[in-house]
Amino acid sequence: MNRNAPGYVLGFMALLCAVFGAGVATVHYATRDMLAANERLNHNRVVCSAFGLPVEGRAPADYARAMEQALVVATVPDGRGGARSVYRRADADPPVVGFTFWGMGFWDRIEGFAVMTADLETLVRLRFLDHKETPGLGARIEEAAFLDQFEGLRPDWTAAPDRRVMIGPAAPTQAGNRVDAVTGATQTSSALMRFLNEELERLRALDWTSLEFEPLPGSEP
Amino acid sequence: MSVRARDIFKAGLIGDNPVYRQVLGICSALAVTNLLANTLFMCFGVVFTATLTNVTVSLLRRHIPKRVRMIAQVLIIASYVMMVDTLIRALNPDIHRFIGPYVGLIITNCIIMGRAEAFAAQNPPWPSLLDGLACGLGYSLVLIAIALVREPMGFGTLLGIPLPARELWWHSWTIMLMPPGAFFMLAILTWIARSRTGAKETSA
Repeated sequence: MNRNAPGYVLGFMALLCAVFGAGVATVHYATRDMLAANERLNHNRVVCSAFGLPVEGRAPADYARAMEQALVVATVPDGRGGARSVYRRADADPPVVGFTFWGMGFWDRIEGFAVMTADLETLVRLRFLDHKETPGLGARIEEAAFLDQFEGLRPDWTAAPDRRVMIGPAAPTQAGNRVDAVTGATQTSSALMRFLNEELERLRALDWTSLEFEPLPGSEP
Repeated sequence: MSVRARDIFKAGLIGDNPVYRQVLGICSALAVTNLLANTLFMCFGVVFTATLTNVTVSLLRRHIPKRVRMIAQVLIIASYVMMVDTLIRALNPDIHRFIGPYVGLIITNCIIMGRAEAFAAQNPPWPSLLDGLACGLGYSLVLIAIALVREPMGFGTLLGIPLPARELWWHSWTIMLMPPGAFFMLAILTWIARSRTGAKETSA
């Protein structure tokens, strides 16, 4: 058989793709429950960290319980044709709300979770759920030195919608709505600034008085 | 173990070690070695991929069309890497967050492609399996040696466990946490290994 004949080459590659594609799909299928559980645990850890919730233990159930005891949730439109959850911590003074935000980073989607005072005047904490930014550069958005800057940040609601929160150089440098960008990761920082500001705009447009917050699924009545 | 099998294994581990002799796989060697746990998972990924890729390429060596052999090898490597990536993400998501980007880069790791092309494509499955395993373990040997120095010096821990009475004597060497620390360690290790294995450079 002529191994360089176009028919053989095409047939061989199609068969190889089918066999190895099936292999990859099988591994993914076999681990789907573990992957889903890991994703839930990561989400709950990030939410607990962003709200500053006390968690007794490190088991997945401990994080879920901490959320159920402290948070209530409402479903709101995500502004992109879907729906998403907004959390509120009722026992905090002042009351605080938490929400996910996401957008395209340098390589892939960046997904974060922010907690703000319920009047949307002050950012309490920012955390990241997932990203695929370059290690050592864009991935440094997860480091405390970057994240700590957002604590107490006050969005400037009088500024243009894309400059309510500034990440990177801006005058004046001491402005209350500005944080330093990650050195060497201008694209990541700019992308984050863009979609964080977009999210703030969507949140401001919400009719907060009509939102019905409910206990988290699984909470004790 | 037969003489030939022992030779293949010794070559991959020591004589033709992929890192300090062939200077392959340097990117991940520098990137993941500041923590031993990350290093071990990375080594698992490379050993798994190198071994299975070699066996697969060897089994298919009489069927792979010559002019698309590189594409076929990349497809095989990429599939195994995706399986490893999924397994690490399922088994230890915390470590996956740190080494995930480098696991993806195993696809382009020259060790795996190099051994598939240079050895497995011309040899039967058993020697190919040994060659892939030996090269993966040779790579692991170097990475683990570097991590065993970087983590204690940089973090004062080993596998996350604090060194004994470290508050009395230990001070962090920040450079060991950063890529330059890995460069220094790799250079020192290469120097020691090459001088001990009697490798001599010949002028052209």
